[in-house]
Amino acid sequence: MSETSGRSGPRGDELKPRLSESGAPGAGVGADEGQLSRRRFLKVLGAAGGGTVALAGCAGGEPERLIPYLLPPEDQIPGIATWYASTCRECPAGCGLHVKVREGRAIKLEGNPDHPVNAGKLCARGHAALQGLYNPDRVRGPMARAADGTFQAIAWDDAIARVAERLGAGQGPAVWFVTGAESGTFDRLVDEWLAALGSTGRVVNEPFGYEALRHASREVFGVEGIPSFDLGSARYIISFGADFLETWLSPLALTRGFVQSHGYRDGQMGKFVHVEPRLSLTGMNADEWVSPVPGTEGLLALAMAHVVMTERLAPQAPDVARLRPLLEQHAPGAVAARCGVPAETIERLAREFAAAPSVALPGGVGTHHEQAHGTAAAALVLNYVAGNVGRTVHVAEGAAGAGSAARGGYGRLVQLVEAMRGGQVSVLFVHGANPAYASPAALGFTAALERVPFKVSFSRFLDETAQWADLILPDHDPLEQWNDVEVSPGVRGLQQPVMQPVFDTRQTGDVLIGVAQRLGGRVAARFTAATYKDYLRDTWRGVQRDVGAAGEFEAFWTQSLQRGGVWTAPRTPPRATLAATVARLSVVPWEAPADRLTLIAYPSAVLHDGRGANRPWLQELPDPVTKITWGTWVELHPETAAEFGIAEGDVVELTSETGSITAPAYLYEGVRPGVVAVPTGQGHSAFGRYAQGRGANVYSLLPAAATAFGGAAHYVAVGMRPSGEHVRLPKTEGTPRQLGRRIARATTLAAMRGEAHEEEHAAHGAAPVPEHIEDVLHEWEDAQRREWENRGNYAGEHPRWGMVIDLSRCTGCSACVTACHSENNIPTVGPELVKRGREMSWLRIERYFEGGGEHPFETRVVPMLCQHCGNAPCEPVCPVFAAYHTPDGLNGQVYNRCVGTRYCSNNCPYKVRYFNWFDYQAPEDPRTFAFPEPLHLLLNPDVTMRSKGVMEKCTFCVQRIRGAQHQARLEDRPLRDGEILTACQQTCPADAIVFGDLRSPDSRAAQLAADPRGYHVLEELNTKPGVVYLTKVRNVAEA
Amino acid sequence: MATLAHPETPAAARVTPTYAEITRDIVATLGKPGRTWYVVFGLVLAVLGWGIFALLYQIRFGLGVAGYSPPVMWGVYITTFVFWVGIAHCGTLVSAVLYLFRSAWRTAVYRTAEVMTVFAVLTAGLFPLIHVGRIWYAYWLIPYPNQRQLWVNFKSPLLWDVFAVTTYLTVSTLFLIVGMIPDVAAARDKMTGWRKKLYELVAIGWRGTDQQWRHYLRAYLYLAALATPLVLSVHSVVSWDFAMSIVPGWHTTIFAPYFVAGAIYSGLAMVITLIVPLRKAFKVERYIHEDHIENLAKLVLLTGMIIGYAYAMEYFIAWYSGNPYERAAFYNRAFGEYWWATWTMIICNAFLPILLWFRKVRRSIPAMFVLSLFINLGMWFERFVIIVVSLSYEYEPYAHGHYTPSWVDWSILAGSFGWFFMWFLLFAKNFPMVSIAEVKEIIPMPRRERAHA
Amino acid sequence: MRFRWAMSASARLARVAAAVAGALLLFLVFRPGGAPRAQQPRLTGFTAPTITDTAALPGPRQPIFYRHDVHAGQYQMDCRYCHFAAEASQHPGLPTLSTCMGCHLLAGAQIAEVQKVREAYNNRQPVEWIKVHNLPQFVQFPHMLHVKANIACQDCHGPIETMPQVYQFASLKMGWCLDCHEQRKASTDCTVCHY
Repeated sequence: MSETSGRSGPRGDELKPRLSESGAPGAGVGADEGQLSRRRFLKVLGAAGGGTVALAGCAGGEPERLIPYLLPPEDQIPGIATWYASTCRECPAGCGLHVKVREGRAIKLEGNPDHPVNAGKLCARGHAALQGLYNPDRVRGPMARAADGTFQAIAWDDAIARVAERLGAGQGPAVWFVTGAESGTFDRLVDEWLAALGSTGRVVNEPFGYEALRHASREVFGVEGIPSFDLGSARYIISFGADFLETWLSPLALTRGFVQSHGYRDGQMGKFVHVEPRLSLTGMNADEWVSPVPGTEGLLALAMAHVVMTERLAPQAPDVARLRPLLEQHAPGAVAARCGVPAETIERLAREFAAAPSVALPGGVGTHHEQAHGTAAAALVLNYVAGNVGRTVHVAEGAAGAGSAARGGYGRLVQLVEAMRGGQVSVLFVHGANPAYASPAALGFTAALERVPFKVSFSRFLDETAQWADLILPDHDPLEQWNDVEVSPGVRGLQQPVMQPVFDTRQTGDVLIGVAQRLGGRVAARFTAATYKDYLRDTWRGVQRDVGAAGEFEAFWTQSLQRGGVWTAPRTPPRATLAATVARLSVVPWEAPADRLTLIAYPSAVLHDGRGANRPWLQELPDPVTKITWGTWVELHPETAAEFGIAEGDVVELTSETGSITAPAYLYEGVRPGVVAVPTGQGHSAFGRYAQGRGANVYSLLPAAATAFGGAAHYVAVGMRPSGEHVRLPKTEGTPRQLGRRIARATTLAAMRGEAHEEEHAAHGAAPVPEHIEDVLHEWEDAQRREWENRGNYAGEHPRWGMVIDLSRCTGCSACVTACHSENNIPTVGPELVKRGREMSWLRIERYFEGGGEHPFETRVVPMLCQHCGNAPCEPVCPVFAAYHTPDGLNGQVYNRCVGTRYCSNNCPYKVRYFNWFDYQAPEDPRTFAFPEPLHLLLNPDVTMRSKGVMEKCTFCVQRIRGAQHQARLEDRPLRDGEILTACQQTCPADAIVFGDLRSPDSRAAQLAADPRGYHVLEELNTKPGVVYLTKVRNVAEA
Repeated sequence: MATLAHPETPAAARVTPTYAEITRDIVATLGKPGRTWYVVFGLVLAVLGWGIFALLYQIRFGLGVAGYSPPVMWGVYITTFVFWVGIAHCGTLVSAVLYLFRSAWRTAVYRTAEVMTVFAVLTAGLFPLIHVGRIWYAYWLIPYPNQRQLWVNFKSPLLWDVFAVTTYLTVSTLFLIVGMIPDVAAARDKMTGWRKKLYELVAIGWRGTDQQWRHYLRAYLYLAALATPLVLSVHSVVSWDFAMSIVPGWHTTIFAPYFVAGAIYSGLAMVITLIVPLRKAFKVERYIHEDHIENLAKLVLLTGMIIGYAYAMEYFIAWYSGNPYERAAFYNRAFGEYWWATWTMIICNAFLPILLWFRKVRRSIPAMFVLSLFINLGMWFERFVIIVVSLSYEYEPYAHGHYTPSWVDWSILAGSFGWFFMWFLLFAKNFPMVSIAEVKEIIPMPRRERAHA
Repeated sequence: MRFRWAMSASARLARVAAAVAGALLLFLVFRPGGAPRAQQPRLTGFTAPTITDTAALPGPRQPIFYRHDVHAGQYQMDCRYCHFAAEASQHPGLPTLSTCMGCHLLAGAQIAEVQKVREAYNNRQPVEWIKVHNLPQFVQFPHMLHVKANIACQDCHGPIETMPQVYQFASLKMGWCLDCHEQRKASTDCTVCHY
């Protein structure tokens, strides 16, 4: 990686001071941290770089050393971050990244603003990629299984030799290769490589493969690939179980479209209806929740299509006639009973749907029952009948090879397992997939592995699959490697190494090429490129031709690297028409045996298919719906719970035909009675200290057989019984109801338009503050301000930093929470301390339930962070001025002045101050150490580490404020509005957060704050917060 | 003028002691400690030692080892702090206020009360330190000039505490020592060895001359006058730690008088708890008996009624104010997850004292002893309820929480009793626990029998 | 000169290039009529003394007896020639060995200490300097703003240009910072330095 060797390598004085600050005020800690950083550095950076090293803490007497570079690294100035463009590989969405690198360490990920997919935003999983890079449980070098079954470190050459030797025997057809969803050069490489070996055993294993949708698109339009949905230009969105704000297809792109359509703007907003028996995070954002009998979403969609067709609500394409026989059978009256949704509701929905430019979203993984392709197809049909295809729905051939049925999909994995059982697999390669975990236990993947004589894993972690391998050739982390992704036709993202590899890993591409070269002969001949990078560049010569970019390739290459890839305006595909196969379409709903419950194994918004489970940030990120961390839970409707006599926290045992799991119950009105829902992602038996032995793996309940559409069924009939055990759920929430305190406010569109009166008023009978009191308050306030203003630092003009949060945009996705962790060195504390309410997250998404019972069930979210009150209760009570008011309107918190009386926290009505109960950043106490080496390398050197006994809280990213101010000063210019982005604002996929100077009238924040929807939380306390919330607007008929 | 001989008690038991007897009896309490004393003392030291271990453990690993769970940021430590400060109050009341009111019966019990005061403040003073996150920087709470040009925040009630408690400690210590001078002098004349030296020191050359007595009584009077306002001020300041905040259940104007009454209440109870065994152990039943207990009981009754009223008022105002947060907080107190704590406090502090309307109870020493124990318990729980329960149920519903003390909390609480009794026992063996001089003052002058018919 | 043979052609090329670049930079730095900036040493016509007893010198002993008084004093090199980041970053920046070689490829070959530098460079073995100026923990010190405000390096680092061996001149404690901030009417708000 010679390219990076120059630019990486921390220069003297950077890392160390910060790291020893990470120690307690005492010295010893600093020393140890220093030691850590030193060893790490010399490893990480090699001779080219160097680091300052605390051979001992300041008090240790021993002096600190400064180690300069030998050669000046180009494009790096110590103390100033360098940014590199890359692509996120945490899920197949392929968002663009900007990686912040300080002194050779990647310390923060942000979205690439120019990228068509995520436009500068990043989700929680994306941020946590950093903890994949620095994960303490990464495989640190090539390993081979020794005779005694343990892994022994070996040299790379040796490793490659071993592989080559195995493959030498010309056993081409018996070689199989499992990868995750790859859609770029690596995908091509693997295919070529296998072809060279004479193998056809390519398996693409992406647990969330959307096989149903592919199948439906094939059946309905005869098109191979996943349709794209343009929410932005729709005014009416109906989702049949698609969790498009969480995991479905491309969550960030869809979130952007969703807020564009559904976010309230001067009297206008779209409507969103969610149809699913379980209310997901996505569903929580819906104006209307239709909860049908599980598996009948398809019938409902067809019934709507029926109405649209019979009432001629939309101009009909001639080929709609093909659907007539199908739709005839699905009159609302006919299906209403089956769906458990009244016919008039269906008709209303259909009319609303047809009235506006609309889009219907076919179900996601959470709706994958045996016949889910029917559901998906029905939704596509509805779109077609309403004339959305070509308008809001675009059907196109998928990007090259993105898991087409031939090589991808769960069905393909089943074939592999059969082959393994049959002993037809002699060599198995696994890269970027963990089928031993993320496939139904009944499939017996692990058992079948034993029949494979030679298993090679390229996994970066010792996961459930890798632990059985004979050879582990750890791949680079995506942030260390060269690669590319073809997200969708015309959108190609590039990955470049942003730093020296942390460990002795090697890019799998290079390994494959290396093996080929060692095999020599025909195989080697196939690969002219010496390294994978060259191979990649060759591909990109082709790309240059495709996009028709003129000029030197080098120029094109560097430019692409800087941009993070190339994207051309998507060619609008020819308007799809119905395929002949559509006539055969049938929608068979899911049926659970009468005496059993329907279990929905829904995709976790946080841990995805389980790949996120070894990232402490994600483990500690409260689930957006249940607010539970670090574990698995079973969602039950209170009625169901009452039937079984189950209370929250009671451990229940779920038993399907293929297995059983136990997990604590969580009572949730957002699941239909008779349904239990369990998230994916937990219950790892390997995969490192953070994932192992936590919660239960819901895959072990799912049936082994592949469904008709070649996917894994995520619906299964289960029996449930309380185990008699009771645990306290590690959730971050106290009371789920607002008690009428109007913290998360909502109104209706009608009310905003003045057509109806806002129902909601001060629910509690607090009398309005009388005039004269108001006057007194204002006088007092002015007096106070005058007093401030002619005192030292407070004299003269200062900004008043503030924030505006638009609740009608915020979806509750929690990306901001993880971004905050990453920016501000916030430690994770683990489940036991979360149970004690000691989580440290400076920013939390409060989720409140409304209604329920006979009233419509409603949920609201409100991001709660330090309100930076103008009249802050925390300030006067601090005996030592550790909490004080800065001239620019922040509630300053001076960590090194804090004695830890915690009075400020008692007096904070918003409860946004967090106390360091332990030394989370001191290695001496492994029970609480939050940054085991090399995880500490992701710490932000601009933010002080807080030691034990100190209070901390949101600072409005003061380091960013000061940074921008310094820059402005250096350039002799005033600060520009929007120059300062707080970490949460920067990453918010819904653009719900705006930070700025509330005092300057023309700042965006100030203008938004003047919105009539604006309010302060608990304003009756007269704390004069600096955070303004804009009331959520719900597009419903009546309040 | 009260006499030691009470009309009701059988004359046999009530032979008025002579001056000589008094000196003898009371100085006898300073004799060589018996086995029981050593056993008790050893026990006390063991408990203290365990508490100290817990504290060191907490300092090493951080406050996390205590039971704190946000939003409950104050717990057993502050509860215990207020508890001990409260205990401390009765001393000044009995010695100073009653002295000014010339109620002679105090003479028998005031020494115990004062000693208790000093050591209770000594104990209470530890807790603000124990509870801070970085005890090694606790000195930052003291205003002192430094190169960092940093100062303390005089707006913070916590700072007021620092001053209130230190002042109270100084004054009460002074008051105790001054009160002891004549006795120590008396003891000095009986003693030998190192204790003689000690007493000589404390007695500051007391010879009991007429002039010395005149000055002494003046000084004592003025000190009493000086100490009296502290009875009100100190605990008012402590109560403002809470009243000055915006926490529902804390932010109440009634707090100052409510806390003062509570303090005296708990203090009196503690005095009873202490002197009942004391009089047995030191065989001074002649000097401390039913009359004194009854007088204390009457004060307990009075303050108990005030407390009961305060409780009622808190709830009434919470409802009457119409403030939803207050209402929620108080509803939560009575019927929330901490109902048991609340009801313990109400029963012990507001209902049990009703028994004191009965003279029989007031004059029954065992009954009073048991009752005093209940009151001590109740008063600890009062502080627990005010602090923990209020904090667990504040403004932000999402952030409601619940708190259970850990073994460290309990150990340090126990340790504080160890600390207190260590001093108390040491004192009891080295200084007269009953004022020799003042007891002499109130017995009838020794005169020849039948001086006049 | 034996090690020259050991060198690869590319390395030789690099050295020559470095030499040229160094010479060029030197010219730029010392170009006639260049208005003296705050960062420029103040004395002219100063000749660094010959040190016989290095043990007597204040300050920690460095692996190489690098003399600021010779470079910054006698030759009046601008501080920022080596501490290149001081104007742009919160960290002043430490000269890379190649910066040294820029001159010492040709200059001072006979000096023993310079030999050490060359060896280190050839063995690709970075020199481990002893850190002299230690700020207290938990404080941010943006060098660039202080340079921007025309604070001379000497104000905090002392008469570096006359120090044969560098020692910590000022206490660098908070009170010391505040004095200066108050004199110059700079902000003394806590979160200016503590965050």
